[in-house]
Amino acid sequence: MAETYQEGSGAGADFDLSQFYQIFFEEAGENLDQMEQMLLNLDLSSANDEELNGIFRCAHSIKGGSATFGFSDVAELTHQMESLLDRLRRHELQPIPQMVDVLLESADASRSLLARHQAGGQGEAVSTTSLVRRISDLAAGLVPDDAAPVAAPPPPPVAVAPAPAPKASAPAVPGQARQLEIQIGPLDRPEQADAIKELFRDIPGLGAIRDVPGSQANTRVFAVETTSTNDDLLDLFAFHVAKEQVLIRDAAASGEAATAEADDEPMVAVDTSGGEAPYGFFNGAPGAPHGEAAAAAHAPLAQAPKAAPKASAEPKVAMQAQMESTTIRVDVKKVDQLINLVGELVITQAMLAQNSRGLDAGAYQQLLAGLADLDRNTRDLQESVMSIRMIPMSIVFSRFPRMLRDLANKLGKKVELVTLGEATELDKGLVEKITDPLTHLVRNSCDHGIEMPADRLAKGKSEHGTITLSASHQGGSIVIEVRDDGRGLSREKILSKAQERGIEVSDQMSDADVWQLIFAPGFSTADEVTDVSGRGVGMDVVKRNIAALNGSVEIDSAEGYGMKVSVRLPLTLAIMDGMSVGVGEEVYILPLSSVVESFQVNADDVSTVAQGSQLVKVRDEYMPVIALEKIFQVPRFDLNKSSNIMVVVEADGSRVALLVDELLGQHQVVVKNLESNYRKVPNVSGATILGDGTVALILDTGGLVRRARH
Amino acid sequence: MQSILAVDDSPSMRKMVSFTLTGAGYHVVEAVDGQDALEKAETHNIDLVLADQNMPRLDGIGLTRKLREHPKFKTIPILILTTESSDQMKQAGRTAGATGWLVKPFDPNRLIEVIQKVIR
Repeated sequence: MAETYQEGSGAGADFDLSQFYQIFFEEAGENLDQMEQMLLNLDLSSANDEELNGIFRCAHSIKGGSATFGFSDVAELTHQMESLLDRLRRHELQPIPQMVDVLLESADASRSLLARHQAGGQGEAVSTTSLVRRISDLAAGLVPDDAAPVAAPPPPPVAVAPAPAPKASAPAVPGQARQLEIQIGPLDRPEQADAIKELFRDIPGLGAIRDVPGSQANTRVFAVETTSTNDDLLDLFAFHVAKEQVLIRDAAASGEAATAEADDEPMVAVDTSGGEAPYGFFNGAPGAPHGEAAAAAHAPLAQAPKAAPKASAEPKVAMQAQMESTTIRVDVKKVDQLINLVGELVITQAMLAQNSRGLDAGAYQQLLAGLADLDRNTRDLQESVMSIRMIPMSIVFSRFPRMLRDLANKLGKKVELVTLGEATELDKGLVEKITDPLTHLVRNSCDHGIEMPADRLAKGKSEHGTITLSASHQGGSIVIEVRDDGRGLSREKILSKAQERGIEVSDQMSDADVWQLIFAPGFSTADEVTDVSGRGVGMDVVKRNIAALNGSVEIDSAEGYGMKVSVRLPLTLAIMDGMSVGVGEEVYILPLSSVVESFQVNADDVSTVAQGSQLVKVRDEYMPVIALEKIFQVPRFDLNKSSNIMVVVEADGSRVALLVDELLGQHQVVVKNLESNYRKVPNVSGATILGDGTVALILDTGGLVRRARH
Repeated sequence: MQSILAVDDSPSMRKMVSFTLTGAGYHVVEAVDGQDALEKAETHNIDLVLADQNMPRLDGIGLTRKLREHPKFKTIPILILTTESSDQMKQAGRTAGATGWLVKPFDPNRLIEVIQKVIR
């Protein structure tokens, strides 16, 4: 089974196969993705034929294509994979984890090899020697180290009376093709033996059978080549003849192998030794040319020239691929430039809208109608342009099944990954930046959260831990959750650790506050540092990265039952819906996503507590009041402070009421980074240009809420 | 012009076979697997079937068997394209009623050569 792949005929000299390369590369990539997916989903204990055949077909397709197009290294590797998979789907071997491992690694290697060919031979060379050896060892039934035996268990016994069957002289080695001589008889009806022949025809992979002239009238003799064991054969034959009527002999041992070769009815009309004939016809088959069969089979194979991939052919290939595709690849810079221009357009439109406000609707009817159209079109254009940058979360999620599998293997844990809401779209810039923090969270869940299988069983949980990754839109933001059903956070452990680190804590802290402690720099609750996580750089980095994206992280946990980390992010960084409020002469923008409500308060509902801080009572609930004029030190118009308009904003799970002078309106604003243009300002997350050309600051509601807490 | 039904689940192989045969002056009908081929064979006038062996839904030998059950396709040449050239495969192909086989990978020129032997 470990034969080497013979490089077959490539393309003819006058044939330029390179025009098909691009299609092949895409197809092979899809096949590899599909194979990886199926391998990851494969349940080793109950792998069904459908799955195994599907995986086999992927390897088979890649092998066929790569051999045809002259990528012999890929063909060689996939040929080995195919051989192993073939034995698995024939149930000659029992699938074991090592096989999945080596197949996954081989898929990776194939990908690298193909990428190299696609780049015209550029890039790092990949050696597949050890992979090929490992696969062929596994295919031969050799199991590395302490793994379980791979030979397929015998099929369940067929319900017939156990009769002592004559055993063959040669030991039955599963998986290896053996030449047997099978004698059936004495028979009452000769067609019983024909039924045996039909078995070989109907059961793929059982082997080949042909008649051998027998000496007795009521006995039939067959020459059989099969990989099945004698017991398996007997079980199958038992449907048609009694076991006592079957005699299986090793053909070589019985000394009749030679005579069997000189058979009067050859199976096929050509010499098939070694299976090297490039093509052939069956004698007497419909449409087969007369006298051609033998000649064709003996034709030399050597003259087929090899098609070497030509780097010079690449541009043509790329052009062809583009014609076939319905998508185009565009430099992100171009998209960003477009978004920037649309942003400017939005500002211009807002200025026009503002300046036209005082115009007489009768006299300027057409102009105003045009401006209304402009408003609508600008909005649509902005939405369309923004959607170019939106990509589905599946791009991020797709990396986790493999990562988690490798990780769980390393840690000796059993973990299942469930992903929800993969179609949820997120700005490309955010997707790139969220990948690392999410990876960290998933690693944490697997390493610290999920318990060892034995511990889980002892706690009455299922052996397999589950990590759920989900994404969903909630208002103007996207919420990504990493949830596990592991051991959860331990309040005591966190508190004592925090004390060790010199962080001020008290036993009266709420759970939410305790969980927030793990975001402190250098905080790790892992008892020992593992290869995976627990090096101390952790959650604080995650939190910082997410905060930099205007996002927030929340933790929910129940000891013994698991924990959930929710990451809330804005949909995009470039544009946001804002509410503008006036304080004195200044205009501030509040992110609409964090605005809960606004109302007028009675003086009675506001009470002053220690250190002059104020609380407002809203529907029997007290929340802190923040006077923006104090924070930004802007003079208010209303010197007698009779203004009583408050806007409630929510961030990090808490609410505060902001005291403002007036509510100006709601609009989309183009976010300009203050930090890169000026410097970081506390309580301010950015700036924007208003319709009248003035600059307004966008408030950092998270910062304001934290300020109110302390 | 004679029509060939090219059956392969791999788009690149299909493209290549189709390109090769079109270049040699044949009309090519493409099918993505055996099941698709059965439907295409019904609705097109086919002079020869060139089918990959390993395909989802219905493989080349299964396709051959089904086609031969139909009086219309009793005598039409059917060639099986395969990467396996084992006796087992050939025996199965022969029993199903295939005309012959062609081993992948193949040289486009050889494909034309083999087809010209069967239909003229």
